[in-house]
Amino acid sequence: MTDSLFSCLIENPLQCTVVVNNVEHQVPAQLSVAGALLYLGHRQVRQHSVSGEARAPFCHMGVCFECLVTINKGQQQRACLQQVMPNMRIDTVTKELTQ
Amino acid sequence: MNKIYDYLIIGAGPAGMAGAIEASKAALSVLVLDQASSAGGQIYRNLGQTKPQQAFVLGNDYLAGRPLLAEFMAANCDYKPQAQVWHIETHEQGFIVSALINGESTTYVASHLLLAHGAMERPMAIPGWHKPGVMTAGAGQILLKSSGLLPKEVILAGSGPLLLLLAQQYRAGGVTIKALLDTTPKANYWRALPWLVAGLTTPKQLIKGLWLTLAQRIKVPYITGVSDLQITGEHSACGVRYTVAGTVHNIACEVIMLHQGLISETQMGQLLGCSQRWSDVKQCWHTQVGAAGQTSVAKIQVAGDAGAVGGGYVAQLQGRIAGLTRAHNAGKIQTRQSKVRLIWLKLRVKQLNWAQGLAERLYQPAKWLSKPSGCTIVCRCEQVSAATITSIASAGCAGVNQLKGFTRAGMGPCQGRQCGLNMGYLVANAQNRPMSKVQPLSVRPPLSPISLGQLAKGTDW
Repeated sequence: MTDSLFSCLIENPLQCTVVVNNVEHQVPAQLSVAGALLYLGHRQVRQHSVSGEARAPFCHMGVCFECLVTINKGQQQRACLQQVMPNMRIDTVTKELTQ
Repeated sequence: MNKIYDYLIIGAGPAGMAGAIEASKAALSVLVLDQASSAGGQIYRNLGQTKPQQAFVLGNDYLAGRPLLAEFMAANCDYKPQAQVWHIETHEQGFIVSALINGESTTYVASHLLLAHGAMERPMAIPGWHKPGVMTAGAGQILLKSSGLLPKEVILAGSGPLLLLLAQQYRAGGVTIKALLDTTPKANYWRALPWLVAGLTTPKQLIKGLWLTLAQRIKVPYITGVSDLQITGEHSACGVRYTVAGTVHNIACEVIMLHQGLISETQMGQLLGCSQRWSDVKQCWHTQVGAAGQTSVAKIQVAGDAGAVGGGYVAQLQGRIAGLTRAHNAGKIQTRQSKVRLIWLKLRVKQLNWAQGLAERLYQPAKWLSKPSGCTIVCRCEQVSAATITSIASAGCAGVNQLKGFTRAGMGPCQGRQCGLNMGYLVANAQNRPMSKVQPLSVRPPLSPISLGQLAKGTDW
């Protein structure tokens, strides 16, 4: 995780607590899960299951499946289609997990 | 037994909302299934919850969707957000539509369908487009609409009205646009000229379009005639390299947004057997749609960008036409007033046709962009390169469906949406065939991934 390349233009947004890879963060409540990961400075959200290369959200509209993460320890799903929820557990995906 | 709806609409963008409004006004039972968490489609995404700062940046055209959204929310129809349609099959009473809602598969039965699921961005397979930091311009706009996020600095690259609109919105939001790299071929301007003249019939729209184009050229570092665009950086994007008039340039930036127009989503139409056609002007496959939204399959209509990319306003008109036509055919309304209205709506669509014609010609993708080569990834899901696809296509592979078997390209979770078109181009190039003779990837259920558990839980057979 590094400095975020994105900023939120909404002043004093309502905050929401999420747990990303076991670390607790406060993020604006209106963010999608993919948006939250970018906001928190995650440059990559998964490792590609074939090549192991880093991948990140690409289309943000549910077409490309590049933003697959696990939410609340469930199945992998598209982070762009889900809104953050209080105490949501978000885990980015590594190659080993996919296989 | 499930309730049988008179009209099941897929998509709650302008076309779907307008279709639902008209059909429900005529007392038809209507169900709208939409993938997003709130109605509006991509163009009016999150409009109901938008904050003042977002509204300022997004501009008046976005806010113009409010009356339609309000009318839809007040309409007497069933609406299911976050519903991912994964299968549609024909049935003696019409159609069975299966959708994943909250992780559970639910089936609905309807006598008639309206496909209003919109378009997607044309995949722009340049070297490095799969690296973190690269996203589509549509993605940039969605982040702004739904999350209020802006990149701190960005390079915009490609061609098309959405790229210009995003540039305008980013300027309003104070984003540093390091460059707008325009890949539009110069010859396109001449081809588009007659359609520009036709635009004089609706001067308001024409002036708005011209202003959007000119303002960005003046106010953004705007570079035309760009070719050989590629993403630099090893593990994630560090910038772009491109050529203008034979000279290579580099610009550093960690967020790069690509765009080269929209193409209609055809998967549902294909699955249902609606006849498809290749268009050399649009440079994509599309479902054949008549003036009232009718397709080659009885009881299935298509409206909005799902049929041909004409923008939000035209989509709304087409949605109304489809809904009214459905109501007329069902014998629910027969008044002269509604017939006149239907004629007026169709005329209005015809009148605005120039904009679509202009955009299709002016922003027709550059030839070099449809010829990915070397290690450029074509299929992102299965990590298949252009060189692999070309070598198999050159060896005489019958078409993209056989290519899929040989290379796994098109077999990943996106179901070929990101690679199908480029696979077609590579086969056409390697075998010297016109695109119209290279059949698109076949579509089979599920339209989006569904787990066996979800499948088993949701079935009532």
